[in-house]
Formats: sequence, structure tokens, C-alpha cells
Amino acid sequence: MPRFDLYQEEYHPSPLQNVWIEFKRSHLAVVGLIFIVIFLLITIFVPILAPYNPDLQNTNTLLLPPAWEANGTISHLFGTDALGRDVFSRLLYGARVTFGSSLTIVFVAVLMGVGVGAIAGLLSGVRSSIVNHLFDSIMSIPTLLIAIVVVAIMGTGLYNTMFAITLALIPQFIHQTRSFVKAELSKNYVLLDKLDGASSVRIFFTSIIPSMFELIVVQATIALSIAILDISALGFLSLGAQNPRIELGQILSQSLETAYVAPWLIALPGLFIFMMVLAVNIVGEGLRSALRNRFNH
Amino acid sequence: MKIPSHFNVQAPFFLLQVNHSAMKFIGLLKHACFATQTNSKLCVLLLSITALLSLSACSDVEQSSKRAITYCSESNPAFFNPQLDTSSTTADASAHQLYDRLLEFNPINGRIEPGLASSWLVSDDGLTYTFQLRRKVAFHHTKYFKPTRTFNADDVVFSINRWRVASHPYHKVNGGSYPYFESLGLQQTIKDVKRINGYRIEITLYKSDSSFLANLATDFAVILSGEYAAQLLNEGKPSRIDFFPIGTGPFKFSHFKQNHYIRYIRHADYFLPTEGTQHLIFDITPKSSLRMAKLITGECDAVAFPSQSDLGVITERDDLTLLEKPGLNIGFWAFNTSKAPLDDPNVRRALVLAVDKTTLLDAVYLGQATRAKGLVPSASWAYQGDAKELGYNPVKARELLDEAGIPYNFSLDVWAMPVQRAYNPNAMKMAQLIKSYLNEVGVTLNIVSYDWNIFRENLRLGIHDSVLIGWNADNGDPDNFYRPLLTCDAIPSGTNRAMWCNKQYDSLIQSALLIDDFEQRKQIYKKANALLFEQMPLMPIAHAYQYQAIRNNVKGMEINPFGGIRFDNVERVP
Amino acid sequence: MIKLFIRYINLMVLTIFALLVLSFILPFLFPGDLLTNISGITPETAEQRKVLEQAFMLNENIFAQFQMYIENLLSGNWGVSSSSQISLFEEISSAFPATLELVFYALLVATFVGIPVGFLAGLRHHNLADFSVVTFSIVGYSFPVFWLALVFITLFCLQLEWLPISGRIDLLFEIEHVTGFIFIDIFLSGLEESKAAFKDAVRHAILPTLSISIVTTALFVRFTRRSIMDVMEKGYIVAAKSRGFTQWQIFRKHSFKNALVPILPILALQISTLFTNAMIVETIFSWPGIGNWLIQAIYQQDYPAIRAGMLVVALFVLTLTITIEFITRAIDTTKDETARAAV
Repeated sequence: MPRFDLYQEEYHPSPLQNVWIEFKRSHLAVVGLIFIVIFLLITIFVPILAPYNPDLQNTNTLLLPPAWEANGTISHLFGTDALGRDVFSRLLYGARVTFGSSLTIVFVAVLMGVGVGAIAGLLSGVRSSIVNHLFDSIMSIPTLLIAIVVVAIMGTGLYNTMFAITLALIPQFIHQTRSFVKAELSKNYVLLDKLDGASSVRIFFTSIIPSMFELIVVQATIALSIAILDISALGFLSLGAQNPRIELGQILSQSLETAYVAPWLIALPGLFIFMMVLAVNIVGEGLRSALRNRFNH
Repeated sequence: MKIPSHFNVQAPFFLLQVNHSAMKFIGLLKHACFATQTNSKLCVLLLSITALLSLSACSDVEQSSKRAITYCSESNPAFFNPQLDTSSTTADASAHQLYDRLLEFNPINGRIEPGLASSWLVSDDGLTYTFQLRRKVAFHHTKYFKPTRTFNADDVVFSINRWRVASHPYHKVNGGSYPYFESLGLQQTIKDVKRINGYRIEITLYKSDSSFLANLATDFAVILSGEYAAQLLNEGKPSRIDFFPIGTGPFKFSHFKQNHYIRYIRHADYFLPTEGTQHLIFDITPKSSLRMAKLITGECDAVAFPSQSDLGVITERDDLTLLEKPGLNIGFWAFNTSKAPLDDPNVRRALVLAVDKTTLLDAVYLGQATRAKGLVPSASWAYQGDAKELGYNPVKARELLDEAGIPYNFSLDVWAMPVQRAYNPNAMKMAQLIKSYLNEVGVTLNIVSYDWNIFRENLRLGIHDSVLIGWNADNGDPDNFYRPLLTCDAIPSGTNRAMWCNKQYDSLIQSALLIDDFEQRKQIYKKANALLFEQMPLMPIAHAYQYQAIRNNVKGMEINPFGGIRFDNVERVP
Repeated sequence: MIKLFIRYINLMVLTIFALLVLSFILPFLFPGDLLTNISGITPETAEQRKVLEQAFMLNENIFAQFQMYIENLLSGNWGVSSSSQISLFEEISSAFPATLELVFYALLVATFVGIPVGFLAGLRHHNLADFSVVTFSIVGYSFPVFWLALVFITLFCLQLEWLPISGRIDLLFEIEHVTGFIFIDIFLSGLEESKAAFKDAVRHAILPTLSISIVTTALFVRFTRRSIMDVMEKGYIVAAKSRGFTQWQIFRKHSFKNALVPILPILALQISTLFTNAMIVETIFSWPGIGNWLIQAIYQQDYPAIRAGMLVVALFVLTLTITIEFITRAIDTTKDETARAAV
């Protein structure tokens, strides 16, 4: 025996645990996960974490550079903006809105997309094929276009843009779910359930959903990165979060005014968005690798 | 993979004219690539990218034969005729480029000089003005209009009667609203405009008006082409007169692409000798940071309304010049006095007491403006240095609000301009500062903004609660501040943002016009100031310096303190 | 094959119809006066209102209105923009080609740089070059495209002063609008300064194209690499190897085509992202394309413009996507409907 085992049982990790083991092997992916957890913590705990009130204007300290520059002070880690508001606090609050709203968007999109897709998959026939292709086509309308139409109808604002992006993301979940369900329905283990006399709905909930889980998670990470990019883009275009709500893209567009005097005001919000998306993408890549390779050892 | 020896990497580069630094960089890369034979593919990639980028080094634009000035403006003009609009965007695009006036202001000393009128006489009773018109002044010759005659009295009659006479066939064309003239009540002041002969005009007034000549020299009193108007009326397209303009000015209209650019071409037969550029282009760029960026890269030779934070950058750079002049302007916070509870002067005074003007001056104007106590700045002869002003007293503010019955968390709107002006370079920022002050006395402020043309249209309709805006003088006469901003007549034309109508104030302003003596007029304006202090329909904030940012190789540019920008003598020296 | 063709034609017709219905309904949903939303003209008198109502058959039933709408669309009478009063057809026909240009250039770069790099990385994977390629691609498609554009501007235009910031071409060059594609128009304009104009247009196009294409190239690299890695593990490749084919021969004969096919539909999906990114970048670089125009329209509350613009872009993207899908399905020999490349 290569190792002394107190317990004689063999330990077979479940498929899910296998994913985690494989995932852990990539250090990069774990770092990405840590970042996501940090952003999650920011989103939940920002009122405690932020050193200043993000709306507090202090006209004695306008456009202070970040702490690592010669003129900066440590009390304002990332400096202040043109109204004297602490940039670090604003970025934290903005990150909360960006990350939080993206999570909400993906959550809703997953619920609705998987629901509708499942129904579409369980049904069969020409109807569902048409519906499938229709959704395929809607999927290819540029997100910005959908957002523009929604904003034109409903006005600007964070919730309206969230609605628009959710609309844009739902079709791909519907599509994936439907294809998956259709494929699974013809597989043997489902056939066994049917032979046992299970109804379609029961089959769905007990057999198909567990297998679908990983696919959905992977899809969700892709959707999350898209949602973050889209929400901040719409905020940048002044179509999304409006004053007094703070959002990272919106901070970026406001910083353009003082672009020469305060270049850090452009670099930092963008960096935050970039890190958010990068973390999500790294974790997504890691998950995908893990799912592919989990049985390889 | 080695680069085949017959592939001469050197050849393409000699075809390009590269500048020094790019050349050096490419040289370095080439050495590095040939020295190490590995990763040659990467080298070729890098070299070709650098080659592409070094295409940039040739500025063939300067070598091209066209001479042109590019001006970064900040918004679309609503019309190409300043009669219809008081916005400085419209005035900048048309007033001094496309048109001339009967009289002109000397931009240096403010005196009234001959324009299209070569001389004039005023009768003793001040009711009759006779103008002798200049001969051999040619109108623009364009693709859509070929003039058959030169400028004469008929054009003056047409230009004035269009806005004066309600029954004139062109009066209602494109809206029928002539805000500047309406705000001054000139339609009621002028009795008649008569053509004495081909080159002589007589204008009679109902009552004497010491600011009448000054008003004829403003940006808005342009002279249009009567012949063109008749032609358009025949063709059934009268509205084109304000969109495809014809005038006598130094430039003629070539093309307008909304949200993008306006093109002008030099009018070869302009009646004054000028040494200026052949082509003028307005590059419409709403974002001030982008205008600044274009000034730095040289895509624009001059920019409109450099923002306060950019002024430091301009003075630091040696390829840019900052022109500066004390401005004839005022930035203010106007309350819509027609809406309750803002109709109560105590409420308005309370709101003013709640805000510290010093902070606004420091944070928004960054020290480049003087504190405004009244409407008129120190550059004008009617300035009252000892005028009273409300200070900063939030406790008293809350008291007044309580007395007036205003509850806590009372909310009101402030409309902040989306564009920069000298009198308010950053209305959004100011609004946010005011918001935090009002918060402390229990008033919630909602900040509202729209696209600039929609903004002004909605303001005219009086939907706002209060607005952060200002006024740039059109001539040196103080009446130009008092009348269009706060008299009853100015409400329908939209220049009276406070929607304030006070008979006592109106009669004071009227009486000042009947007097020629500056000292006496000054006394009357002092009384008006006292009334304004009591009633506080608006809070005067600042008189700003006027700035113009240009590239060093632009010659002939001057700041016009009376409004519209002028390009007739401007050219770019390579 | 014919059956496939008919199915896709059906699909195209169906989706176009759905879009037209949506576009027809929009003016009813937009705030403000219905008549202004449809025509772009604000009626000033009751007379004018009646005339306009007649023209758009607002007093008839909904089907007649829809028919009128389709007729108007086909005849080029798209109404006018409510803020500029210029015919929408004219505005869109000058704005849309500008966006197409940008998308086309970015697609070129992404295809000719991204796919080869992806192939190379996939063929020799798990070494240093492959690792750097993977890193570059993840970093690349995580960039918010507007931030990338701003960083480029700060670096190349303001610090180094190499490239211009805005527009398609220096305004000094008056290029006649013939096709809307600037390089063709320069060629057709016959100005003596054509060469200078050409160089100038290239300079203006570099940064916007770079900003968009980095994201798309990164995605192409990732998909291609994954696809070829999957193909390399297939049985027939191993068989070919065991028979003694070289890497390059296998690639030419088998891997290339087989790797390309499953990723084509995904590449087709990227077109919509490409359009979104192009439209965002346009506003930063003041590129006179349809994205810039639509966003201005939203700020100015120009509803007829939004409606027409949306219809044009959506129709184009949809048609393109469906066509590519059809071509993919037609040349795909596996005939497996539900198989999509695992990513």
C-alpha cells in the first residue's frame, strides 16, 4: 500500500467533486475564482467596505491623484474626482451595481431560458423546430440594438437596460436547453425511465436537469461576462444607470471630461470592469477544462 | 521558418515618408529581427504593423493645396439664421460667417461702426433714423441661388419686416418666433421702415430708444436677400431661406451634415478686403474632452468652449494658445416664478441662502470668473460694485422655508445645460454641488438634462422648476442684460428663464431707455438691482472670462466679446 | 439539398416577417405623438394632421396600415428624421455602409490573423507559445471594447500623436458619396488628392478597426484552437498518423476542413457581437456609421430614425447569419442536427 489509510473504504468522488478537483489543479482558475468571490463580497458588503460616502463632495480635495503618485494621499487611495468624491468608494459602489445587476440578469435569463427551453424540448414536432429556429434568429440581433429599442420605448435607466440585456440573453439558454433536452430524450437512461412509466415532467426533473446542470453553469459564465460588458457599455453610453446611481461604465463616461488632468479616472474604472470580466472568463475556461478532463485521472 | 533571402524587406519602407522617431523604431526592429533568425514570423508581423502605423507620420493634409480652418463646434445650429434663435451655436455658425448687419461693433472698443450702412443720421427727437446704404455689395453666388443684383434698400426692408410685421409672408416661416427682437419689444418700438430710394432707408420709432443702434449691431440683426426670398416664395419652398442661407458675409454656405460638419467656402466678392482662409469647416463635436483631444492632435484648429479643467493643459502645451478676455456675460440659477411655491420670493431667497456661492465659483469656474452680485459685469459701464447680495446662511434658509410652509424633503427640479458656456462651463457639476447644499436644509434636488435643442425648446415652454443657465451680451448696452432676461415681454420669446413678470421692474427698464445720459441711466439700474435683490427671481452666480483655444499656427483670431465667433480674417500659417 | 434550401428560405421569410411586424408596432409603443413617430413630421395645423393621417391610412384597420407600411418600405419612402428632417433612406444609406466597412475590416483581421493563430496554437498545444496564445485570447475577449478604444486614443493619439481621433477622413477632403464605402468613393471621385485622401482614410480606419478586431480575433483564436484540438483527437486523424502522413499533410487534407466546419455557425453568431462592438466604438471615434447615428437618435428622441435604423441593421444581420448557417449546414457532411461544437 502506497499510503496508510485508516479507513478501508475506497473513496470515489462524485462527478461534481471531480469537477472541483480538476478545477483546483489550474492555479489560474482558482485565482479567478478568488477574484469573483471578492467581487461578490464587494457587491454584498460595500456599505461596510467603502471608506467614504460615494456622493460626498469635498471641494477642498478636487482631482487628487491616486495614493501612489507624488501628490496623492493615502486617505484617498485612488484619488478624488472633479467634485472631490473619493474614487475608491465610487468604484466599489459602481462595481456593486455592475456586478450585482449582471448576476441578476443572468439569474433571470437562466430561469426563464431553461424553463422555456425545457418545455420546447419536451414538446416535439414542427412547432418546436420553428420556435427553435426563430429564437436562433433573434439571438443574432445585436444586443445594443435591442437595448436601444427598449430604452426608446421605456426610457433610460438601470432597470430598463437590465430588462433589455436579459431579453437578449434568454434565447441562447432556450436554444441550448432545447437541443440538450432533445438529445437526452433519445438516450438510453431516459428510455429506461419511460419504460418504468415516468411522465415527461418527472423525467425532466429527476434525470435531465442533473445532467444539464454543468452545461447551464458553463453557459451562465459566458452569459455573465457578456452581461457585465453590456451593462457597462450601456452605462458608458449614458443609456443605462443614471445619476444618482453609480455604475462603472457611467463613471468612465463622466471621467472623459477631465481626461488629461486625471487619466487615472479613465484607467481605473475600466480596469475594474476588465478584471471582473477576466475573472469570470478565467473561471469559465477553468470550468470547461475541468468538465472535459475530470475523468482523466 | 526563415525569411527567404530574395524577399527584400527594405523596399517598401523607402516608398513611405516616415518621420524620425518611427524611422528609428523601425530600424531597431529590423536589426533585432535580422540578428536573431528565430521568431522571424513574429518579426515580419511586427514590422508590417509598424509600417502601417508609420503611414501616419505623413501629414499630407498640410501638403495639400487646400487652405482651410477647422473649428470644433459643440452642437448643431437650429437654423442658419440668427434672427430665429438666440443660441450661440446658431450665432456662431451664421452671424459673422454668412451675414452682415447695417451696423457693426468694433470688437476692441465696443464702438458702433458702419456695416452695410455707410452712414446714418438720428433726428433730434430720437424718433427717426436714416441710413445711407453701401453700394456694390454682392450676395452669395451658390448652386441654389444666383443673384442678379447687388444689395439695396429692398433687402433691408425685407430683413426687418420679416420679424416686425406679423402679416409679412415670411413672418410665420419656420416658426414665426424671433426671440431676440421679441424680448426687446422691438416690434412694438419700431413704427415703420421706409425705403427712401435704392440706397437710403428711414426707420421711425414710436418712442425714443437709446439702445436702438446697439441693437441693430447685434448678431441677430442680419440682412437677408430679398431677391432670394422672392425666388423661394415662387418655388413654394420658403422655409429653405433659413436652411440654405444666402447673405453678404465673408463665407458662403456649402453643405451641412447634421451631427457631423458644416462646410463654408470663401465668398470671393465680399465687399471688405480680407486675408483669410479659403475653406471653413465646423466639426460638430458635442463632448468637450473630444474637442480638446482634437485640438491636441491638430484635427481642429480652434475649439468652442474649452472646459475649465482643460485650460491648464492648454497653457502648458506650447503648440496651443489660449486667448482670454473679461466677458460680458452672466451665469445664474433661475427659478420658474410662475410655479408654486417658487412664486413666493421668500422661498427663492431661502434657496439662495442655502447655497455657498464661493464653493460654486471655486469648483466650477476654478477661479476663472468673478463673483456676480447683479446682472451686469464690471466690463460694462453700468456695473454697480456695491450692490447687495445674499450670503451663505443655511440656518436662515431653513427658517424662511419653514415660515413659507415648505416641508422637509420638499423636492424640486433643476435643469442643467448639457453644453459648456463661458458663463457656466459645467452646469451638471454645479447642479450636483447645489444639490448637496440643499440636502442640508432638507430640500431634495432632482437634476434633469436633455439634448441641447430639446432642452431649450422645453425651457421655452416653462416646464422647468429652476434652471442653471446664463446670458452672453450681444452688445455693450446694459439694457441687453436687463430686458431680455427679466421683462414680461421676454417670456414668450423664451429668454426670460425665470418667467418673471413685474410691472415695476418693466417700467424702470423702459424709463432707462428714454434717457441718454449714462449717469442717470445708472441710477435707474441701481433701483432695478435693489428690486431684484428683494425679489430674487434668479441667483446671479458668476461673470466668467471668455476663452478661446487655438493652435499656434492660427493667425488673426480674436475674441468677440459681443457673441458670435468670426473667421473672416483667420488663416492657418503652416 | 433542395429540402434544406426550402427550409432555410422558409425560416428567412418567417424571421423577416416577424421583424417587420415588430418594426410596425414600434411607433405605437414609443412615447409621444403617433403621427410624428411614424412620419417624422410634426403637424402644425389640423389640416396638415389630416393630410398625414390620410397618407398613412391611420383611420383604416390595422392590416391596411401594415400593407401601406410594407409598400412604403419597398418604394424607399421611409419617412424623415424628426430632428433633422432629412429623408431616412438617405441618412441610413450614408451611415450604414460606414458601419459595414468597419465590420468588414475587423472581420478580415480576425479571420486572417485569428484563425491561422488558432490553428497553430491548436496543432502544437501545451507549450509556451500555445500558452501565451491562450492567455492573449482570454485577455483579448475580456476587454471592454469602449475602454480599449479609450486606451488606444490616449496612447496613440494623445501621447504619441501618431493617429487621428475622429471621423473617417479629414474633413478637408470632400468625397462625393457614391457607394458609401470610403475607399471606393475616393477611387471614384477622381480628385487630384486621391492619394493623400486614401492615406488619410487608412490612418483614420486603423484604431477603430484595431479596437474591434482585438476582441473578435481573440474569440476566433479560442474557437479555432478548441476545434482543431478536438479534431486532432478523432480516430481518422490517428489512423492517418499511423499510416505515416506528416502533420502538414494531415492538416491540409483533413483537419483544416473538419475543424472549420463546426465553428462556422459560432463565427456567424459573432457577427452580432461584432456589430454591437462596432456601434459602440463608432461613438467614441465619431465614425459616421449607423451605431453613432442611432445613439444620437436616442439622445434626440428621434423615433422614426430608431425604428428605421433598427429594421435595417436587424434585417441585415439576420439575413447574413441565416445565410452562413445555411451554407454551413449544406457543406456539413455529418448531418447531425443537434451537434454543436463544444466550447
